[in-house]
Amino acid sequence: MVHPLRDKAAVSGIGETAYTRGTTKSGLALQLEASLKALDDAGIDPSDVDGVIPYFPGGAIAEDFIANLGLKDLTLSAFIPMGGATCVAAIQMAAMAVTTGVCKHVLISVGRTGYSGSRVSTRLQQFPVFAQAAEFELPIGMFAPAQLYAQGARRHMELYGTTARQFAEVAVVTRQHAILNGNVVMNKPLTVEDHHASRMISDPFRLFDCSLESDGGAAVIVSAADRAKDLRKPLVTIAGVAEGHPESPASIAQRPDILEFGLVKSAPRAYAMAGVGPKDIDVAEIYDCFTFTVIRQLEILGFCKAGEGGPFVMDGRIALGGELPINTHGGLLSQGHVVGLNHVIELTRQLRGEAGRAQVKDAETGLVTGYGDMGDGSIAILRRAA
Amino acid sequence: MSQAPTPVAPAPAPERPLPTPTRESQPYWDGMREGRFLLQYCSSCGKVRHYPRPVCPHCFSMESEFKEAPLGGSLHAWTVCHHPFNFFFKASAPYIVALVDMDAGVRVNAQLHGIPESELKIGRRVKLGFEPVNKEVTLPVFVAD
Repeated sequence: MVHPLRDKAAVSGIGETAYTRGTTKSGLALQLEASLKALDDAGIDPSDVDGVIPYFPGGAIAEDFIANLGLKDLTLSAFIPMGGATCVAAIQMAAMAVTTGVCKHVLISVGRTGYSGSRVSTRLQQFPVFAQAAEFELPIGMFAPAQLYAQGARRHMELYGTTARQFAEVAVVTRQHAILNGNVVMNKPLTVEDHHASRMISDPFRLFDCSLESDGGAAVIVSAADRAKDLRKPLVTIAGVAEGHPESPASIAQRPDILEFGLVKSAPRAYAMAGVGPKDIDVAEIYDCFTFTVIRQLEILGFCKAGEGGPFVMDGRIALGGELPINTHGGLLSQGHVVGLNHVIELTRQLRGEAGRAQVKDAETGLVTGYGDMGDGSIAILRRAA
Repeated sequence: MSQAPTPVAPAPAPERPLPTPTRESQPYWDGMREGRFLLQYCSSCGKVRHYPRPVCPHCFSMESEFKEAPLGGSLHAWTVCHHPFNFFFKASAPYIVALVDMDAGVRVNAQLHGIPESELKIGRRVKLGFEPVNKEVTLPVFVAD
């Protein structure tokens, strides 16, 4: 039986601000700026929006959108507290809302002052899921994601022989892609030597294994596919979408397998919903809070076996022109950190044929993942309508 | 209208982040303070659980007791923290945080003292010790077995 959500909803509008280090704008202003661009991209009026899912905690609530954009009759206001998995999980909620008729157009937005505002360790203390880490791990000097995720990366290296050279490859390729984009924080070439010479943050993560602390906003509009087909841009449907939560979701330490991500559960669901498998994916935008996180997700997504993610990323395989181009916009590592909504935007551009110098030729089907909150994993498979 | 400039106070020394015990976890921290490694065991099925929580995820009993558990364990994973995300830890960086499979059947994350990074490997035996940081709070620490 075909899943009732398959291809019934679409990403109809995308918008983003400049990605910078330094801004005088608030997180709210960045979200509104990106939202107005997304509305213009879709060719709809703010008053057409009846669902809002702002990033939480991120400085904006749905009421701000009513006050600023004059939304007339909001029928859905929601937060999805899944850290880096939030944005793609929001796609699932939005798809459910527009397919059931609860909403016509749902706005998903992120605005972050991650460079000019509060930094990661301060922000995380606002996350409900970090309560146990704050009680048991912060006092021993272990709280930032670079620290919490480093132990899993180290274990992967010890078990499978994954190397810093392979981590570097992810960083270097991502930077090459960023340079093609233009709207990026990091626009200078990066070499393997630069990576290896960068300072150690939390072994095995060096500075260039870590995503950016940057300022910027992004927004996406999800509409029912039969509405979106009459809007301004080529139709890109949501073929499959899913979220997943790992065991021991609030403590990596207590998780039976510390390399289990929620994506282990959500990826098979999304593939089944879309009726496709890894071999059908032309381009992948993989949540890249850390280089290693990309390597492990490629395994979970079925592009290679467990433990083989390191060798998989080598030899140009993940670069433009390779077997599986990833993070064709520069990702969180080099473009900017808007919690992966930029990944959704880039995948939409790829499938519309709007990706400019980073365009993957004839891209028809692609996937995007979200990862966060200590291992929640979300995935959306998008495709260009025939 | 002009105002006299407000004097700028010198930045206070960074304070150590301390645990805020919950009703569930208080016995664990009380045990730490007494130099005892107390874990929460289900009164119904006997299974251990950590971090402390109200309901046994195996049999859903809400009755539990804290009992002293063995201190030995083996290394599951580790990281060496160089960048002090919290300013308190700047003075002691780099430091090793070890994730240990305790013989009691749970994991504990704590700083590892006395073993150089080059000698770390999965499965290496270590022992949980106790590091008082003030009158109220003692933190776990790992040392060579």
